[in-house]
Amino acid sequence: MTFKKLLAGVALSLVAVPALAADAPVAMIVAQGGLGDGSWNDTANAGFEAGIAETGLEGRAIESNDVVAQGEEIMRRAADSNFGLVLSLEYAHGEPMEALAPDYPDTSWAIFNQVRPGANIASVLFGEHQGSYLAGVLAAKMTTTEGIEGINPEAILGVIPAVKSPGIDKFVVGFIQGARSVNPDIEVKVGYSESFGDPTKGEQMANAMFESGADIVYHVAGGTGLGVIAAAEASGHYAIGVDTNQDGLAPGHVLTSMIKRVDVATEELIKAYAADKFPGGQTLTFGLPENGVGLTEMEFTKDIIPAEYLEAVEAAKAGIISGDIEVWDVSSQGYPDFYK
Amino acid sequence: MSNWMDRGLGFAVPLLIALSVSALVLLAIGESPLDTFSLMLTEGFGSPRRLASTLSAATPLLFTAVATAICFRAGVFNVGVDGAFLIGGLAAVVAGFSLPAELGWALAPLCLAIGSVFGAAWLFVPGWLLARLEVDEVVSTLMLNFIAVAITGYLVNGPFLSRQSGNNVTPPVHEAAELSRLMPPATLHSGFLLAIALLAAYAFWTRRTPAGLEGAWVGLNRRFSRMVGVSVQRTIILAMVLSGVVGGLGGAAHGLGQLYRFTDGFSAGYGFTGMAVALLAHNSPLGMLIGAILFGALASAGTTIQLFSDIPLDLVNIIQGIVMIFAVIELGRISIRRRAKA
Repeated sequence: MTFKKLLAGVALSLVAVPALAADAPVAMIVAQGGLGDGSWNDTANAGFEAGIAETGLEGRAIESNDVVAQGEEIMRRAADSNFGLVLSLEYAHGEPMEALAPDYPDTSWAIFNQVRPGANIASVLFGEHQGSYLAGVLAAKMTTTEGIEGINPEAILGVIPAVKSPGIDKFVVGFIQGARSVNPDIEVKVGYSESFGDPTKGEQMANAMFESGADIVYHVAGGTGLGVIAAAEASGHYAIGVDTNQDGLAPGHVLTSMIKRVDVATEELIKAYAADKFPGGQTLTFGLPENGVGLTEMEFTKDIIPAEYLEAVEAAKAGIISGDIEVWDVSSQGYPDFYK
Repeated sequence: MSNWMDRGLGFAVPLLIALSVSALVLLAIGESPLDTFSLMLTEGFGSPRRLASTLSAATPLLFTAVATAICFRAGVFNVGVDGAFLIGGLAAVVAGFSLPAELGWALAPLCLAIGSVFGAAWLFVPGWLLARLEVDEVVSTLMLNFIAVAITGYLVNGPFLSRQSGNNVTPPVHEAAELSRLMPPATLHSGFLLAIALLAAYAFWTRRTPAGLEGAWVGLNRRFSRMVGVSVQRTIILAMVLSGVVGGLGGAAHGLGQLYRFTDGFSAGYGFTGMAVALLAHNSPLGMLIGAILFGALASAGTTIQLFSDIPLDLVNIIQGIVMIFAVIELGRISIRRRAKA
């Protein structure tokens, strides 16, 4: 291990020393919500700061009260001022970035959760299907376990996605596949909320699922999901959170959350850039092998989850990483036969 | 003093105080106020490109300031311009991607018109309620803002959501519906010219037309206006509808010229910043032009100085917050005067 690290260190220094290596500063544009959101922006910023510290580059996180409209001006200003790498965490910046990147061929660009063509743009996606598979494994194990409060004997789970689109169904299909790997006959109820911002609807739909036998509901619905979590807490059942660690929103009633490690992505991008290996023109997927997705530490629920279930999750994770388990990715493979 | 303020210098005192306070804050955190302010000046106005960026940030504020001033000078306390901006913006954007692209050059003006109609209809409601039923317009328009956020939020997360992405954006408008840029690649677009034209029209309307003068009378003294035969009800509704037209146009121009689609976070509180601009300018056209550009520069430069210094966005928030306090004081002053009259 130490020897390996040493080798890696030597390799890194060999790459880093030549004048080729990038030394122009790095800018990261913070998305709506700003720093201090305890979520997407803060997670990304942690990786950004780690990457800056590690590479010794100059790095600046840029905030704006009007980040959607000012995006293009900020990006151009950064490139005009000789920033070498500009990352934007704001989803709405994808389109302007694609349009302006050709004007700045010497600048590297990075955007998240979408694919933007361009020789100097790195598009970062996350392997949400893989993380959702693990959530499915855990939920399927839990749902028939006797003696846990809020869990009934029926093998029924629920998923509340926001809209029927490949980007969202990627989570759903991964979850179903994981659940079926535990119990092929399990029933997974799926109900689209048709909205990312309607907690009341999320609450109603989750309650309907709980009443019809489901005891664990996974939400893939942004703000709507807050209602799902509220319903789980009020009814004594369980929700599974998404994107960031939502376990603390209703401690004990969020079984786990399927988190996206955007910090891993920002740190890797900065290190690659510093080593002059920036993946321009590529789409990077941060899945389980890259530690880009995963389940939380289950701070509030680990006491009720039998150890063997956590081992099953670890085994599934190892299987996915080794390639023994292939998780269906709707966003790149289309819809599977078992879910249309 | 009042005369000075009406000439558009109502910003001088608040701005000086805001700058003094932020200078102290800068000193306290070990930054040089002089360097920081000169950097802000350079980033705000230092080159044609930076000026364009400032004007681009000022554009939505020009619309919302004029929309607010139309009502305020008639004594109508419409705080619902932000709602009209959102509704007009969404309507124009939806028209911009769902109407046939074959309409060609006619598409953009058509979408602008649709945005203004929706904005007008939006504010007609509180105008009618005030004129006919004396429903307090501060309450009704403030509430309508929340409703506008909820409606547009629902629509952009549901029926009008772009199926291309899982996030909260509509599809982009057709290229033909886009407003052209004035000095590419800067984002300053022809909506800015429209805003300036509206500002000029507002100046003309307030000083040279019977309806505009009647509006001012109603604002000054409703009883007197009634006595000399001005229809107070009609004036109130007209002010609200015109305010909605301008606010809706602002949203439409922002959608078609700046973002090309509607997204969550479409209005960064433009209605409220515009209201502060109108208040501090005492509704004077020149004052509003200066105020909108100042706030635009603050937003634009306050962001890009972070590329070159360790000054956080909080500095902008401090400056803007202090200037806003003066706007609120002004609002309080007017409302006390108004209560005394009633």
